[in-house]
Amino acid sequence: MNIKFKVLLSALLLVLGVQVSFAQFTATGTVKDDAGEPLIGATIQVKGTTTGTVTDLDGGFSVEVPTNTATLVVSYTGYETQEVGITSANRTIDIVLATSAEQLAEVVVVGYGETSKEGLTGAVSSLKSDRLEQVPLASVEQTLQGNIAGLQSNLSNGQPGSQVEVRIRGQGSISASSEPLYVVDGVPLFNPGDGLTSQSETANVMASMNPNDIESVTVLKDASATAIYGSRAANGVILITTKSGKAGKPQVKFSAQVGFNDWAVSDSKNVRSLDAREYVDLFMDGELNRGTSIATAISRFNNNYPDPQTGRPAVDITPDGAGGYTVGEVRVDTDWFNELSRTGINQSYDMSVSGGNETLTYFASASYFDQESPIIGVGLDRYSTRANVSVQALPWLKLVNNLNVSRTYQSGPDDDTAFSNPIYTMYLLPAVIPTKDAQGLSYDGHKGFFMGGNNPVGSLSGDDDLYWILNRIVDNVSAEVTLAKGLKFKSNWAIDLYGYNEVYYRNARYGDGRNSNGFAQETTRNITNWMGSQTLNYNKTLGEVHNFSALAGYEANKVTTRSSFVQGQNFPPSPQLRTIENAAEIVGGTSSLTGFAFESYFGRISYNYDYKYYISASLRRDGSSRFGTENRFGNFWSLGASWRLDQEAFIQNIEAINELKLRSSYGITGNAEIGNFAWLPSVSFGIDYDGSPGGTFTNIGNTNLTWEQSAAFNVGVDFRVFDRVSGVVEYFWRESDNLLLNLPVSRTTGFTSATQNFGAMVNKGIELTLDVDLVNTGDFSWTAGGNISFIENEITRLAEPFVDGTGNRFRREEGREYNEYWVYDYAGVNPDNGLPLWYTDETREATTSVLAQAQRFYIGKSGTPDFFGGFNSNLSWKGLTLDANFSFTWNNYLYDATAWVTQGDGAFTPRSQTSRVLNRWRNPGDITDVPKFRWGGNSNSNTQGQSRHIYDGTFIRLRNVTLAYQMPSATVKKLGLASARVYARGINFWTWTRDPDLGVDPETAVNGYLGSPVPNMKTLSFGIDVGF
Amino acid sequence: MKIFNKLMILVTVFGLSACGDDFLDLSPSNALPFETAIQTVNDLDAAVNGLYSQMQSSDWYGRYFILLPDIMSDDVKQNSNANRGRVWAEYTGTINDVQNIPRNTWTAIYVGVNRANFVINSNLEFPAAVQTQANQLIGEAYAVRALAHFDLVRLYAQHYGFTANASHPGVPVVTEFNQDAQPARNTVAEVYAQVKADLNQAISLMTLNRGKGRFTKNSAKAILARVSYYQGDLAAAGSLANEVITSGAYSLTAGSNLLAQWADLGDSPDAILDVVNNTLDNVGSESVAGMYNVSGYGDYLPSMDLVSLYDDADIRKGLFVEDNKLGGGVLGNLRQAKYFHPRGEDNFPVIRLPEMYLIRAEARAVSGDTAGAIEDLMTIRRRAWAAAPDVTATGAALVEEILLEKRLELAFEGHRLFELTRQKKGVVRVNCTAPAGSCTINYPNDFFILPIPIEEINANPSMTQNPGY
Repeated sequence: MNIKFKVLLSALLLVLGVQVSFAQFTATGTVKDDAGEPLIGATIQVKGTTTGTVTDLDGGFSVEVPTNTATLVVSYTGYETQEVGITSANRTIDIVLATSAEQLAEVVVVGYGETSKEGLTGAVSSLKSDRLEQVPLASVEQTLQGNIAGLQSNLSNGQPGSQVEVRIRGQGSISASSEPLYVVDGVPLFNPGDGLTSQSETANVMASMNPNDIESVTVLKDASATAIYGSRAANGVILITTKSGKAGKPQVKFSAQVGFNDWAVSDSKNVRSLDAREYVDLFMDGELNRGTSIATAISRFNNNYPDPQTGRPAVDITPDGAGGYTVGEVRVDTDWFNELSRTGINQSYDMSVSGGNETLTYFASASYFDQESPIIGVGLDRYSTRANVSVQALPWLKLVNNLNVSRTYQSGPDDDTAFSNPIYTMYLLPAVIPTKDAQGLSYDGHKGFFMGGNNPVGSLSGDDDLYWILNRIVDNVSAEVTLAKGLKFKSNWAIDLYGYNEVYYRNARYGDGRNSNGFAQETTRNITNWMGSQTLNYNKTLGEVHNFSALAGYEANKVTTRSSFVQGQNFPPSPQLRTIENAAEIVGGTSSLTGFAFESYFGRISYNYDYKYYISASLRRDGSSRFGTENRFGNFWSLGASWRLDQEAFIQNIEAINELKLRSSYGITGNAEIGNFAWLPSVSFGIDYDGSPGGTFTNIGNTNLTWEQSAAFNVGVDFRVFDRVSGVVEYFWRESDNLLLNLPVSRTTGFTSATQNFGAMVNKGIELTLDVDLVNTGDFSWTAGGNISFIENEITRLAEPFVDGTGNRFRREEGREYNEYWVYDYAGVNPDNGLPLWYTDETREATTSVLAQAQRFYIGKSGTPDFFGGFNSNLSWKGLTLDANFSFTWNNYLYDATAWVTQGDGAFTPRSQTSRVLNRWRNPGDITDVPKFRWGGNSNSNTQGQSRHIYDGTFIRLRNVTLAYQMPSATVKKLGLASARVYARGINFWTWTRDPDLGVDPETAVNGYLGSPVPNMKTLSFGIDVGF
Repeated sequence: MKIFNKLMILVTVFGLSACGDDFLDLSPSNALPFETAIQTVNDLDAAVNGLYSQMQSSDWYGRYFILLPDIMSDDVKQNSNANRGRVWAEYTGTINDVQNIPRNTWTAIYVGVNRANFVINSNLEFPAAVQTQANQLIGEAYAVRALAHFDLVRLYAQHYGFTANASHPGVPVVTEFNQDAQPARNTVAEVYAQVKADLNQAISLMTLNRGKGRFTKNSAKAILARVSYYQGDLAAAGSLANEVITSGAYSLTAGSNLLAQWADLGDSPDAILDVVNNTLDNVGSESVAGMYNVSGYGDYLPSMDLVSLYDDADIRKGLFVEDNKLGGGVLGNLRQAKYFHPRGEDNFPVIRLPEMYLIRAEARAVSGDTAGAIEDLMTIRRRAWAAAPDVTATGAALVEEILLEKRLELAFEGHRLFELTRQKKGVVRVNCTAPAGSCTINYPNDFFILPIPIEEINANPSMTQNPGY
């Protein structure tokens, strides 16, 4: 606590220096602009004192003046400051302020402050509100993709409001998180990720925030920018700043948007479900190849697949007497894809008001956002309000309160290979199973033999429930005290409360509730994220050219999560009785408490010489409850420098160059996402036996366990040439060291792995950003831009290679790229007998149909792209604008993690398959890559982790295209409005994939994992923005 | 006033932010530090509960350890839509690293070994007043450790008589926790020696009876009888079985109650040792019952080879119920209902009294006590089939009768494959739903045992793989 006492002492000394004074006379008057309109809230200060006031609604003021003659300093944002003399004899004055000609320098938000763009020594990119407003996506990270160099953002799940994976400058960790730190208005966001839900669907805390409330998103990429966040900064930092009011007339804005959602990449294109005749053909093929007689096969079919309306078989199959069979009437032919799909509706309404005067500014908003997935029963809606208020209570005291309240509701299905995941079962459910039975209830006649009788159409139409609600209140209070010229003290307090509630209900008739006469689980999670930070800021210029600024601070942050759930089963017959109070049996329940704390000291010093040469240094000392007792505190730091060459005469002589800046940095940051108590060797409880409590040795622990460390070097050039081309070129290198590894141990120990700080990995690459003003001729303008990032990854230290990932498709090995696939290399089908073939080893000289004789090897493909980025074009003619925004990913490969089932060649009797099975081997001589179909499987042809299930993931996507019309102000005025704009917008409107066999959405997890998620959507929406 | 205001703000702010020294000392809500977790005999009791809890695992007595020996034999056949464990049932399993059953079962049972060692090696001094209780608890841990090693050596190693002196590879014997250990495989003889030593230690320590769900002196003796039996030491097995039967601690369930007791929740019929499950332990369909029951996964069916061996008058035939969805033919239309509750909330038998009678019968038959052998046999047989004709066989034929009865009585309890290999017999499936190649599996065979999981081979350089995998 030493540092705090020093701060306190110095603050006291400064405060005591302030003088106390008494009034001599009262001066009055008005302040107006050059058009004669009163300026509300202009500041009037008596020069040389702390006495002052602000103008009222009519622009009038009255101020106590302590001496007989004095000077009033009159200021108002956007106007030239004026000084006027006043005496006790002439105590009334009317002042007219002139509009300021000086343009405000572009300000960039950085950690614990702001700086001018010119003053940056680090790698920082930002997006402003105009790119974020009214994008019909639930959370703001979804808008980042393709817009920020070096930032890879993937929406691997189209569940509205799901987690968005973000990687800044590559994969930073092996077993800890590689996600960046989010800081909203100075408060580190706690995002428990998938930890929020108890089912596997994702809930995203960020989706509770209205993107329309955001003023800017700033991405901090190198150590110079991030090190001030110390042990949480290794994967980059994303700073989000919400809107605040500006002095002036109240601005009222109303925005409305309605849209329609469809699958972004329609599954029917390449991969679809089979129809009834195709399934019958498949079924019989599978039986006959297994050696079943035709009669038995038909009887088995008829037994499984009756038509509930007639009681006769779903499809008539009759032996033809010549060793074959014929297919007659088809009574049931369900198109599960169509039954599960719909046109989803997207709606968004947003009302905001902002304004204020010199002492008080405000921004307030209320919004409703509703997004329906193109899958039935899947969606999100959100109500959100915000009130950001700032009061200059006294000339030396500014108080700010930002309050945000929101309620987010999401509903969705189970995911991945859960039997009830609709995107998975729609391929597996035979078309000969109907959706309804004879009584009109959801069909359940297949529950005795088929995946628990799951009926996703019934489940998502209301037979079952899975929804979750996140209520969130964030309040952020700060007080800023000006202690002396250039010296400010800021105390910032925030509390972020999450109330999370999840309801899971499975009906009594089919699916997961069938054996318990209905099953329900309700989960509650309350999270408190508390933060307090105290900072001192000092700015000083010496001798005109030496500019200093310094920051010192202390911060404490604690997050506590309290969770509980209760499970009930055996429900009354009425299907609307679903709360657990109705259940006859309570079969489970628990509560738990976990959390973490950080305590930090930090500082930063910046210096520039005449705005030409800049250096800055930052330091942070972090302690965390997550670090082992032997390693509780760590130090993180950075050094950065920049040189504005455009300020040098020899560059200023070159006409073509408008701006040129060279900068470089180096520093050390940490990654503390290592688990709350992973370090603690412990005996855990909550294990019961025969009604008695139990506990046992469950965590090996490691008291030396600590943060992962990242050392990062950056060099970059910012330029603008020919008055129309601007850009950034950066090279970066970062080594992640002390990576947490779960090193495998012999399982005879009773453990599978032990966690250690051991591994190392390097990411290096180049980022290019370019923006060009192509045409700018009065009415018509055209700008275009883009960014591209090349990142190379290499694991540089690893004790032993280890196998990882679903399907064991990865083998992490020193010297290898992190996401290289290590699988059985599929060599197609033996044309003679329809058996699958694999290459025996990496020489690819021999093939085998016996999997045990084949080896896994690196097949030269990776889940990581060679490069990725985005490009955009903005056309404007009079009031019309056409903006298009593309993103792309090149040469990454995807692993279809459910293909081993959905293209199982009969391994899972009697599940249907995707339409790829239509290409299967039927007769000797057939050339195909789909093996013979046989119920019970075909020689491990469906094995997981083979190249058969790997696809080229290269794609280009038109992420956002908007055609807008800004109505002429004359027309608008007639309507009594300040402004009006109408537009049509398409999201994910067009997608190109290089691999013709990839029938599904190419946007997957950054490790290439392609599950069976809710599909990403394509949206066409229409909107209007009106200003009053 | 202004000075005072500013002062107040600063003082308040700093006062609030002064975090105590313990600000970073957080503890998990469900765990205690390893060093201090076990202090009293009550703590030890909790640790023993944690040990038994592991036996409930789906990868041990909850499912796969029970399922595998039966689905790999002639008592059980695969339903046409069987998925889980199918490759082992059809003998097409490979070391293919995505086959999770060998991995998970290996892991789960060694977790049990570690939890037992945690109790055994707790090294606490107890006050005299609780010494008996402490001895009982430590004895139970010895017994579970013995059972764990015995289960492992049967799944992952060839049976005891595979080589003359059981010198073929068994599994590593682990008696203390060492994070860095990379143990090699002990021989089967060494594993059996450790199992017997642990059981004898357990028998000498235990004096209390804490119910059917926990080891007692007698249930440890029953397991030791089975161990000796698998070792081929019939005399010892018979003598131990006799001790258990005559201890008076257990009695046979009446035939008329047999079906009801299988069907209800709670103790298994004739239980000597049960893994206790209650409604809070339900694992959904991931239980052994879920594998057989139509409302679970229903992957496996009783083979008609087995069903046809029961007399129609045999009460135990009532454990087969019709399921007409199966469609007849080679699949038949029967399911077995010994485990009635598909969500696994019923107790599961580890060892039951009839096995003791039949071990004693076999020991008596081999030793020449034909009358005694027949008496034990008929005690079990006539309980379920009152009208069973007298048995007049002697010698080897009598042993066959006893083994038949054992097959009928202990069906689906996870013994059949072990019984066959112990007798050096292969698997012959007449009523076969497996691919043609796996309807007859000759003895000896590499594939009667599971592969060592690839994760163990990778992490432990001393480990050797089983031949054939």
